[in-house]
Amino acid sequence: MKKFFIDIADALNMLAGIENALNINDFSPNELRVFYTIISNEAKSGCQSNITNVVESSGMSRSTVYKTLRKLSGEGIIALDQSPDDKREYLITFS
Amino acid sequence: MKNFFTLSLTSFVFSSALWIIWYFFVVQIEGNPNWLGSLFYLPHAARVLCIVYFGWKAIPALFLAELWGPSFSLLDIESLINVIPGLLSVLSVPLALQTLHWLGFTLGNTSASPLNKRNYKHIALITLISAIYNSLIVNLMLTRFSMSSSEIGIDQIVRFFVGDMLGTTIVLMFLVISLRPLLNSKKVN
Repeated sequence: MKKFFIDIADALNMLAGIENALNINDFSPNELRVFYTIISNEAKSGCQSNITNVVESSGMSRSTVYKTLRKLSGEGIIALDQSPDDKREYLITFS
Repeated sequence: MKNFFTLSLTSFVFSSALWIIWYFFVVQIEGNPNWLGSLFYLPHAARVLCIVYFGWKAIPALFLAELWGPSFSLLDIESLINVIPGLLSVLSVPLALQTLHWLGFTLGNTSASPLNKRNYKHIALITLISAIYNSLIVNLMLTRFSMSSSEIGIDQIVRFFVGDMLGTTIVLMFLVISLRPLLNSKKVN
């Protein structure tokens, strides 16, 4: 019976390899909320989101939004570019 | 013996489930054209995965599912026509593994193994070789013994090959997506 579970574990490892290769990342609830806020903001306004927009629309604190955006940026999902109009503001674009 | 029973049951249920899903889609497209279903032949994934992970012990269960699959009845006389092609289709995977073994790529489950069952690229290679064998041998058999009602040409061989490859890819993608919570919680080593 132990052998059976080792075989299943090997199969799961292989599937995990495909998942990694496809770069399907798991979002935490905060990441998901921020991600969907950015998408819906862009869909509604038709222009690029900034951190203030996301904070206002999501109802999350600025520090949580900033931390989450940094994480998404680190994973290469979004890019944060300094706004040309306001040096303290960051514009969010999808990578 | 307990292990044999467990893996046989797993192989039979998995293979039968793929037969049922595949059959459902074939009915949806109403066989128009009648070979369309063979372009995404899901049951080949069961052959590859069960034999790679469970070994030769999975062959009887897969063969049984192969007989049951097309008509969903073992008592149907039509299922008897599938005995030889069904067996050859199942044996295409051990044949692919044996070919790779002769070429010096023996199947194992460590990164040091020339053919690592934890590596999806190696599984893709096994699928590719078994799909080639399956399409060639089964069609040769059907031609040799005039078992097919339609004429068998190179297009049917290509269709079998594409169907096996595409079918296995679809099943793997479905497993990755549906087992994601398990894959992420476990991250097995």
